[in-house]
Amino acid sequence: MWDLRLPSGLLFVILGALLSLMGLLYPNARAPLAETNVNLVSGILFLLFGALLLWMARRAS
Amino acid sequence: MRLHLVDYLILALYFAFVVGIGWVLKKRISTSADFLTSSRSVPLWITSLAFVATNLGAQELVGMCASGAKYGIMTAHFYWVGAIPAMLFVGIFMMPFYYGSKARSVPEYLKLRFDEKTRAFNAVSFAAMTIFSSGISMYALGLLFQLVLGWSFTASIALAAAIVLAYTFLGGLTSAIYNEVLQFFLIVLGFAPLAWFAVARAGGWEGMAAQLPEAWSHTWKYASSPAQNPMGVEVFGIVAGLGFVLSFGYWCTNYLVVQRAMAADSMAAARLTPIVGAFPKMLLPFVVIMPGIAAMALTKMDLGYALPTKGASYDYDQAILTLMAQFYPQGMLGVGLTALMASFMSGMAGNVTAFNTVWTYDIYQSYIRRGAPDSHYLMMGRVATVGGTLLSIGAAYLATLYNNLMDLLQLVFGFVNAPLFATFLLGMFWKRATANGAFTGLVTGTLAAAATHGLTLAEGKGGWLGVLHEFPSVMAQNFWIAIFAWTACFLVTIAVSLAGRPRPESELEGLVYGVTPIPRQTDVVWYMRPGWLAAVAGALCLVLNLMFW
Repeated sequence: MWDLRLPSGLLFVILGALLSLMGLLYPNARAPLAETNVNLVSGILFLLFGALLLWMARRAS
Repeated sequence: MRLHLVDYLILALYFAFVVGIGWVLKKRISTSADFLTSSRSVPLWITSLAFVATNLGAQELVGMCASGAKYGIMTAHFYWVGAIPAMLFVGIFMMPFYYGSKARSVPEYLKLRFDEKTRAFNAVSFAAMTIFSSGISMYALGLLFQLVLGWSFTASIALAAAIVLAYTFLGGLTSAIYNEVLQFFLIVLGFAPLAWFAVARAGGWEGMAAQLPEAWSHTWKYASSPAQNPMGVEVFGIVAGLGFVLSFGYWCTNYLVVQRAMAADSMAAARLTPIVGAFPKMLLPFVVIMPGIAAMALTKMDLGYALPTKGASYDYDQAILTLMAQFYPQGMLGVGLTALMASFMSGMAGNVTAFNTVWTYDIYQSYIRRGAPDSHYLMMGRVATVGGTLLSIGAAYLATLYNNLMDLLQLVFGFVNAPLFATFLLGMFWKRATANGAFTGLVTGTLAAAATHGLTLAEGKGGWLGVLHEFPSVMAQNFWIAIFAWTACFLVTIAVSLAGRPRPESELEGLVYGVTPIPRQTDVVWYMRPGWLAAVAGALCLVLNLMFW
């Protein structure tokens, strides 16, 4: 069976990279009630999750 | 709320991935079983997340957040009393019969265990229910996007439906299930930061509790009397109505979710699907209910955010999107909307893939055209996928025309669903239950549900036969309708079965407890055995109940 962790991991790595970049380029672009750089924090979380999925897929293969 | 280019880019990227997954899986389809039931080939971790995700539609997501704002943490009863015990029960006790009987669907199990008329009753009502629930969910999504984003109603639902159709048409059930897992990840990771930041801004759990009436931060403390809690329900109604009848009825007999477990690649995996799924499921309230509670607390804090109002009260359904606008900048806002779209799609694909199987195997192959070559049923499965999608869109438009009709339909679904669990319970665990008993019980249970609604009143609803009793809330009324319907079905099935002639035991092997060997699952390591894992899940669920007592 095709390993779903590959496409899922890839999507989250791309999203994570995009969000982190947005967070780094526009650190002051904040929504009204946000007190942190939401894009950067979420971007790093997405990157880590995506990398974990890719690593698991690679280990399994 | 305004979206930027990057937000649209994220949405487009997600669309490309889900359709791409359908495209890759397309080459695996060569028979109707591949398309409609995945030919029992999907690994456990995927089926268990899909089991949870298919129920996590947009209505569930928006609705749970809204209920969080309206009722507080008591909303978690839908998970910690409702879903979890039922999921553990179906895995341990019922899956051996669903999977072991080789039935391709839940209605087909009813045919094997009872007879054609019971199967037909279930297949037709289930097929109609999937179309209407997918339509109602589509309507809710289109309305929300129109209201908050200013998108056209038609364009939003057409786009979402077209994407779902594309990947389910290409890769069938496997594609729907694979995408449900991707969608589950997106929903959790897309909303978890919102829950985190919103709760933190509202002062954490303690801060929120201080802002809101005390009943908002307790699940059980104020449940002894309906007057004490915002839901207007009491312990017996919660435990028997929601926890037992409604939740067991949904998680144990609804083909929409059971289909995911039946696609698993072994008996052990099928049994473990709902049990493993119970672990993420019990944590979902932190992602879907907490933001709602935070929205209410933030409204009281006077920070510049307030829940939008509708008439004299709050428009709770807008909680999730308005909160997103307060915390997510462009970029993450696109992810949040994509997550909402993903939740809608996982719910809709679940309905469409359950509909096409029941239509093809339980209605078309059984009553319209028997004995055709398999390629014909594969073609019919694909036609039913397109037909189901179009009918859902039709149902969504019907909802725009007749709002009250949708209320009525949802009520009728409640009538049909509530007694079903009694039929399955007796069918699987009492070999004396007969086909006539099951059918008469189902019909009586449905009528008992209607009669309870007709004779009681709650918030102006019901009472069309006269008012014998008034409930403090519609939720309490629903719980009690379920209790009466279940009891009527249970008693009548027993009475009629005892009056009739039982089926010989040899015909019931594989279908009923007591004449079927239950697999001990010694083929998996000890910590992955269903009984042990269910005990751990049950204990954790108990801890959550106590933590938020």
